[in-house]
Amino acid sequence: MEIRASKLVVQNLRKSFRSQRSEESIQVFEGISFAVHPSEFISLVGPSGCGKTTFLRILDGLIPHDDGEILLDGKTVIKPGPDKGFVFQESSLLPWRTVMDNVILGLELQGVDNSAARKKAERYIALVGLAGFEHHYPHELSGGMQQRVNLARALIVDPQVLLMDEPFASLDAQTREIMQAELLKMWNHTKKTVIFVTHQIEEAIYLSDRVVVFSARPARIREIVKVDIPRPRSLSVKRSKEFLDLADHVWDIIQEEVLKSMGREREEGVL
Amino acid sequence: MIAACSVIIGIAIWQLGYEGLARTYYFKAYSINHFFASPWQVIQTFGELYRSGELLRHCYFSFLEFVYGFSLAIVVGIPIGFLMAVHKKINYYLDPWVSCIYATPTVALAPIIMVWFGLGIFPNSLVVFLGAVFPILLNTYTGIKSVRENLINVVRAFGGSPLQVFFKVMIPDATPAIIVGLRLAVGRAVISVAVAELFGSEAGLGFMVYFYSQRFLPGPVFVGIVVLVVFGILSFLALEKIQSWLSPWYTYQLQRQVYRMEVE
Repeated sequence: MEIRASKLVVQNLRKSFRSQRSEESIQVFEGISFAVHPSEFISLVGPSGCGKTTFLRILDGLIPHDDGEILLDGKTVIKPGPDKGFVFQESSLLPWRTVMDNVILGLELQGVDNSAARKKAERYIALVGLAGFEHHYPHELSGGMQQRVNLARALIVDPQVLLMDEPFASLDAQTREIMQAELLKMWNHTKKTVIFVTHQIEEAIYLSDRVVVFSARPARIREIVKVDIPRPRSLSVKRSKEFLDLADHVWDIIQEEVLKSMGREREEGVL
Repeated sequence: MIAACSVIIGIAIWQLGYEGLARTYYFKAYSINHFFASPWQVIQTFGELYRSGELLRHCYFSFLEFVYGFSLAIVVGIPIGFLMAVHKKINYYLDPWVSCIYATPTVALAPIIMVWFGLGIFPNSLVVFLGAVFPILLNTYTGIKSVRENLINVVRAFGGSPLQVFFKVMIPDATPAIIVGLRLAVGRAVISVAVAELFGSEAGLGFMVYFYSQRFLPGPVFVGIVVLVVFGILSFLALEKIQSWLSPWYTYQLQRQVYRMEVE
């Protein structure tokens, strides 16, 4: 594996959880390895419950892993920090803080001077298209706007890699499409390395350079699908034959995995 | 507006009821003024007690008991509730005692506290403390326990320290629940003030109520009750104001939850 040229390297990652009801441990991942190039946009998809979110949290260092290694710029990841920006699933804005105060959170935790932080935040709030909403509270914003704040909050600490956990899952279809296009624009602008977890195959293909397809639990990498659709991609790309073929291909793998795990659960008497 | 009308109508019914009762056969034989007082008489008595300085003396006494007992309840209840929420072992040790004392009616403890400490502000404040501490303690516990994990993770994901998690997430997220505890505690504290003074005291509004009812003088009795009620309502409203000032976002969320429940 070309470790030196890679931004993020995952080697032979293993994780198991102790089940709460019985003493046996549940294997979540076994031997996951892949490498991400600088400024690459990677999506993770897989059958639901396969542990995509857990995987992303391990990458961030929020959850410890059992075995294997994660290298960011050649350095081992042990704990969360400002070198990684995390965009959480649903509304994770602090409800008692205004948009401005939410965006500066990361800088504030690092002890950056308040007025400098505010100045910087103004730029990022404008970048996500929310200029003029600095003093609004999260509950005064729509779901799409809240996710924009989330994104600005993650970007302001200038992370080496952006980890996004189904950020658009709770948005309606139209808003989601707009947010996807906006995200690509921002990605183009900032050239961040992005790891994007989603359960939407379409979304994964539209956004990504490569799509990593996980198997059912215990999760392994089933396939890494390269998306060779030229950028910038307009929304109409989603109707091209190339795009639909890729989506069919990924969908076939996931369906196979879902059926497999259902069969296994039936044998074990879970279903 | 409707609330004000409702109060005025209630007082009017009270006045009319009094006038009606006074004209019955029974109360022609026994003076009604030993049993009931009309709102107008209550106001007159209020004026007399106020001018003589007696009412203020009782209010001062009761107010001190309330302040001492309630402050002590805050100083004890919030830290213990917090420790029980974050520390499992402390919770195991304290939980049986908290449940036990919480289930004990403080009214039943008041007499023995009088026996131990005599009459005065200190034992009465202790009764107020016992009445007020549990709502505060238990709501602090619940508030800290229900701090949203995803918000804690946000601060952790940015590399925030445990201390930063505490000050930037746990405290603000638990504040609404703690204030709800304070609001419940205010009501119980006012009741405790009255109860403690009924059992034995030399002054205070509860004492005043007891003293004059023993002498068949309902005027001052109702004055005492009305002052206690007004004080209870005012402190409740004050805490409501504090709540919307400290966590304006919470009131909104609450409204939205109610709305959602109605929609569903």
